[in-house]
Amino acid sequence: MSRAPARNGAAPRRPGDEDDICPVCKSSRYLNPSMRFLVNPECYHKMCESCVDRIFSHGPAPCPVAGCARTLRKARFRRQTFEDLHIEREVDIRRRVAGVFNRREEEFESLRDWNNYLEEVENLTWNLLQGVDVKETEEKLDAYKEQNEEGIKQNAAIESQENANTEAQFAAQKEQARLRREAALNEELDERREKEEGMREMVDMMAKGDGDADTIARESQKVVLKKSTARRTAAEKSRQQAAAVPLFSIQGLKPLTQAAPEKEYDPFGGYAIKPEYYYLRDHYEHSWLDSARSDAQITAGGYDVGEYCARAMMEAFGGLGVFVQDEIGGRQMRAEKGVGTASAAAAGGGGEEGVDGDVL
Amino acid sequence: MKFNIEDLPVLFPYPRIYPEQYAYMCDLKRTLDAGGHCVLEMPSGTGKTVSLLSLIVAYQQYYPEHRKLIYCSRTMSEIEKALAELKALMKYRADQLGEEEQFRGLGLTSRKNLCLHPSVKKEKSGAIVDARCRSLTAGFVKEKKERGEDVDVCVYHDNLDLLEPHSLVPNGVFTFDGILKYGEQHKQCPYFTARRMMPFCNVIIYSYHYLLDPKIAERVSKELSKDCIVVFDEAHNIDNVCIESLSIDLTEDSLRKATRGANNLERKITEMRSSDAEKLQNEYAKLVEGLRGADEAREEDTFMANPALPDDLLQEAVPGNIRRAEHFVAFLKRFVEYLKTRMKVLHVISETPPSFLQHLKDLTFIEKKPLRFCAERLTSLVRTLELTNIEDYQPLQEVATFATLAATYDKGFLLILEPYESDTATVPNPILHFTCLDAAIAIKPVFDRFSSVIITSGTISPLEMYPKMLGFTTVVQESYSMTLARRSFLPMIVTRGSDQSAISSGFQIRNEPGVVRNYGTLLLEFSRLTPDGLVVFFPSYLYMESIISMWQGMGTLDEIWKYKLILVETPDSQETSLALETYRTACCNGRGAILLCVARGKVSEGIDFDHHYGRTVLCIGVPFQYTESRILKARLEFLRETYRIRENDFLSFDAMRHAAQCLGRVLRGKDDYGIMVLADRRFQKKRTQLPKWINQALLDSDTSLSTDMATASAKKFLRTMAQPFSERDQAGVSTWDSKDLERHKEKMEKEKIRELRNGGGKMEVDGMDGLSNGQNGIDGDDFEDEDMDALMRDVDAE
Repeated sequence: MSRAPARNGAAPRRPGDEDDICPVCKSSRYLNPSMRFLVNPECYHKMCESCVDRIFSHGPAPCPVAGCARTLRKARFRRQTFEDLHIEREVDIRRRVAGVFNRREEEFESLRDWNNYLEEVENLTWNLLQGVDVKETEEKLDAYKEQNEEGIKQNAAIESQENANTEAQFAAQKEQARLRREAALNEELDERREKEEGMREMVDMMAKGDGDADTIARESQKVVLKKSTARRTAAEKSRQQAAAVPLFSIQGLKPLTQAAPEKEYDPFGGYAIKPEYYYLRDHYEHSWLDSARSDAQITAGGYDVGEYCARAMMEAFGGLGVFVQDEIGGRQMRAEKGVGTASAAAAGGGGEEGVDGDVL
Repeated sequence: MKFNIEDLPVLFPYPRIYPEQYAYMCDLKRTLDAGGHCVLEMPSGTGKTVSLLSLIVAYQQYYPEHRKLIYCSRTMSEIEKALAELKALMKYRADQLGEEEQFRGLGLTSRKNLCLHPSVKKEKSGAIVDARCRSLTAGFVKEKKERGEDVDVCVYHDNLDLLEPHSLVPNGVFTFDGILKYGEQHKQCPYFTARRMMPFCNVIIYSYHYLLDPKIAERVSKELSKDCIVVFDEAHNIDNVCIESLSIDLTEDSLRKATRGANNLERKITEMRSSDAEKLQNEYAKLVEGLRGADEAREEDTFMANPALPDDLLQEAVPGNIRRAEHFVAFLKRFVEYLKTRMKVLHVISETPPSFLQHLKDLTFIEKKPLRFCAERLTSLVRTLELTNIEDYQPLQEVATFATLAATYDKGFLLILEPYESDTATVPNPILHFTCLDAAIAIKPVFDRFSSVIITSGTISPLEMYPKMLGFTTVVQESYSMTLARRSFLPMIVTRGSDQSAISSGFQIRNEPGVVRNYGTLLLEFSRLTPDGLVVFFPSYLYMESIISMWQGMGTLDEIWKYKLILVETPDSQETSLALETYRTACCNGRGAILLCVARGKVSEGIDFDHHYGRTVLCIGVPFQYTESRILKARLEFLRETYRIRENDFLSFDAMRHAAQCLGRVLRGKDDYGIMVLADRRFQKKRTQLPKWINQALLDSDTSLSTDMATASAKKFLRTMAQPFSERDQAGVSTWDSKDLERHKEKMEKEKIRELRNGGGKMEVDGMDGLSNGQNGIDGDDFEDEDMDALMRDVDAE
């Protein structure tokens, strides 16, 4: 009876309990042992649960702490995780920043870039924490979020998948440990049983009375020893097998990478139609070209001077890049590869010409 | 005495040598030649240290490599003894060779023991001495002084800079007293002399911790060269030392202090930003490059690896988010705050580092990588800020080390949070144990770095346990028996009391009046017949207290009073040393005394009861560890899963090594004699786990005695011991002079030739024998041990 209050008296010894007085209603843990404190991430002012009920049940109201007039809602009140409210706030901010800046190390070319990125992020967080250039920082944050929406989503998905994996792994490991423990226990029990059996057999043999007691004892000892070594090797073997076939645990897998978006259809199959040996200008200064440009008789029919220039240049340079010897060598090579590929190559070559023709 | 082992001439400082010493030296030489590790068990009191030193010194001087010897021992007194032994040896060598050799031998101990500074040395606590010393001797203090600022410095330390850095002391061996005296004469600091001279010494003698504790080893021992010969003496507890050096306990108080430390750091950073921002900028620039910049790059093997700071960490740059000092301090604060919230939980938690990290990340967004860099980053910051009162940051340093270890090792560590001190406590006093389960982690760098590591002790059976637990392979693994001209010690196992019922300290029956009375009678009988000192070991303080109070109730103590003075060891070390002193006085005059102590206490390790200080040692009960401890349970499970050592095997091994340690306390030499009584039914089955030299002397007829039989046998033994015995009787049998040694060598030679002729057949048989013996050592445990099983069930229930 007399011990109970003593225990209660000892309870406030816990850290953080010394200031166990609600700053709003001034009730203390002494009067209300089940008092819980809640904070709102809006302003991080601490108050007890009954205060929250009293003040905020009828909708949003200003914070009752003097000098803080922020409007708070009841739904957002929660228990604090950390004793230090600064840390509580810091972690909230970090959660928000980490939700946006969730790039992964694999995405960076070098370690230094990754580290620079980390520092950059840390700087942003630091600014938010210390209240330096908050507006600018927020803007940066939003801008980044908008720009990289897709990437953020992807990385978040990867991360959640990773978390699920590790959790599964932990569970599997626990299960394995339990199994191993059980196996060890069973092994021990078996061993003991065997030993007892051996003992009993030996006593039986001795009771029957045939043979010398010493020899019987020695014989039975040998039998027990043999059995135990056999069992041990069997256990070792099964253990090795178990080790060889792990329960599902795949490590070192690269995280899933999103397949590259499908490329636009390219009718030329990757052949460039850009001239190789010359540079086509938009405008060529020439008197009769000028007249062609301005002459309604010519332009009305859809004649394009540019087209003409391109063709003229093409004709002038055509064949310059062709080295017959190489072509022959190439053709022979292709022929060796097989008829199918050779014809395909020929068709490809034809295609090339066709392309040129098209341009012309 | 001078003799050759193979081609190596050995100078042994005594005219006679024991056969086992010779065998020990031969095996040592084999190990050194082969360049591998070894485990050697040599009976206590047979001159292990002197044979070790004389062989290794001879080896150093004879071969051109001059391999350095690092001799690690456990206690200050043992280190001092070894130094004195070395000094005598070198003197003998000088006399024999007719010239002083180029040889330096130094010992290292804490600043507290070696300080000469008039005010600092008056401090009582070692931590304060360390801190004050650092504040006087740190590098930046000197810089400030040169800049003309008014700072306190230590004259003794600064005088060292005037000397040539490679010869601060002349050649020779210095004991601690010697170096203190030399330091006083030449006004130079003995501690720093020893530390700075370490690269130039032939022999270094210091405590295990200088090599095993990563924090200390990093500073003191990392520059030792690769071919050093490392010796761990009295190494039967080495696995525990390894584990302790990497285990960290955090309490609420230490976390509070850590927060305070972090706040201090923050303030200092702000100060420095305003006054000397350049320094912080420099540090920042360096960290961008990597922990140890390109100029300081760790060459492949200049330094010993540090388990708390893996190599790959040094090559990498510090993660960006803790590069700036402010960010890092905020990071630390967040981590400490997280630990505080964890401490609030009111039920026991045990989790692996990965799951801890996962939870940490979920809650505070602290990633694994910056955590790994935590300890090193903090060191760098402390250096940059030029902090003098480092002891204030000790808790913070601890937290940082904890962070680094937790993030570095997935396996071999476990976090255990115990919210209550005991099961019955109602007031929470949480402790977060970060326990190392794998002894191999701490000692791995030592085995990796040094080619010859010698692990030796008087009681290190079963030998194969140590390589298994510490993860190394041996070239030589040997246990020596004791050659005796007469049976000078009498081991006995008492299994029954005077009423013929079994006695045991097992859990179910330990408090039964019958058992307690039987133990009481046993003690009474031995106090009657033992001349001078009688030492009694109990498995725990708790049991000792309860049994003493029961004896008091039964009147046993009143009876004992008639014969001996009774003294008791307590957990308080000052009380204990007082009791010890009184015990010694009582043994020297009068009827002698009884010392009641605990098998894992201070007395059982490192205090010798030679000659009349201990004629009988009585081991009441098997000294098992407290199996309810969660840390032990975790370790047992780890040992089973990783090294395939069964729980029962380990517990039994651990109990027996402590029992053997206790027994070894009374016999400290060949002219000494004593009775060793193991009083528990369960010892009968554990006999094979005793060291070879004790087991050999234990006759089969003495393995299951009742109290009266034991008394009779002990009386008979004491009567034989009372017969006159002269030095001459020992000669040729248990001590050899050079002629005997020659004879022995010839015999060995002949034996070898015969063996070769026989095609080595005998050798194989020998090897097999040893193997099966070893097997028995492991298998010979008892499965009928009810209380052990009961204990183990609890382990499994976890």
